[in-house]
Amino acid sequence: MDVRHLNVEVRTEDGIAVLDLVGEINGFAEEALNAAYAEAEARDPETILLNFERVDYINSTGIALIVGLLAKARAARRSLLACNLSEHYVEIFNITRLSDFMSVFPDEQTAVVEASGS
Amino acid sequence: MTDPKPARTDAELGRTLADFSVPSEPGNERMAMETVAEAVKNLGISGENLERLKTGVAEATMNAMEHGNNYKPDVPVELQVLVTDHDLLVRITDRGSGPPPSDNADAPDILAKLEGMQTPRGWGLFLIKSMVDEMNISGDEGHHTEELVVHLQAEGGK
Repeated sequence: MDVRHLNVEVRTEDGIAVLDLVGEINGFAEEALNAAYAEAEARDPETILLNFERVDYINSTGIALIVGLLAKARAARRSLLACNLSEHYVEIFNITRLSDFMSVFPDEQTAVVEASGS
Repeated sequence: MTDPKPARTDAELGRTLADFSVPSEPGNERMAMETVAEAVKNLGISGENLERLKTGVAEATMNAMEHGNNYKPDVPVELQVLVTDHDLLVRITDRGSGPPPSDNADAPDILAKLEGMQTPRGWGLFLIKSMVDEMNISGDEGHHTEELVVHLQAEGGK
């Protein structure tokens, strides 16, 4: 089984930097994820949204990478949000308590509306 | 990966649904979890319960490849999938030496990780324990085995 290396595209919606994640979030994803986060940060948004719609696998190393992004966001007083997680990964975000520190939305539109209104 | 062996019957352990190995290379945990998922497809484990089992298997395989076999590709991780009348057992064995890792898997302190007081890593054992009904770790001089147990009546339990 080939590893689906992570690709990330960065765009801006209503002042929110959106990272479209495509592939697997595992140890191989570190460089792509951190580079995309840096690109988003360079736009100086208040909020960065991780869009997991096309992510089909996150392992414990991937969880650690997300914790790392969340630490960077908190240090810079930015909000880091998540959307389009599968039911299983919503559970993982809950039991790891990631969801205590980053709001999780069912879809991008809801996340953008909530973030724009806050 | 070696081909899964045909099912066999063992009076004490129940039926063996799969018996295979994967080389200790990053990413091969997905091969392991998909092979286990295929092996249990007739047990009625589905949906979120199947996803939990797959995550438990993937994380235990990662532990075995990394901590037991130091990601040496020529050192395999061996997986056995067994079913009894009441339980599904997945046994994941590496070639680690020394005492087996502790099965103490208290919830990691995410706030300490976010504040840089702990490494962001260290989620594996906690995830495994959260995903299955029981996790048992055993070992001898040349092997460590993590055994994941799912109670079939509860169909994934947690």
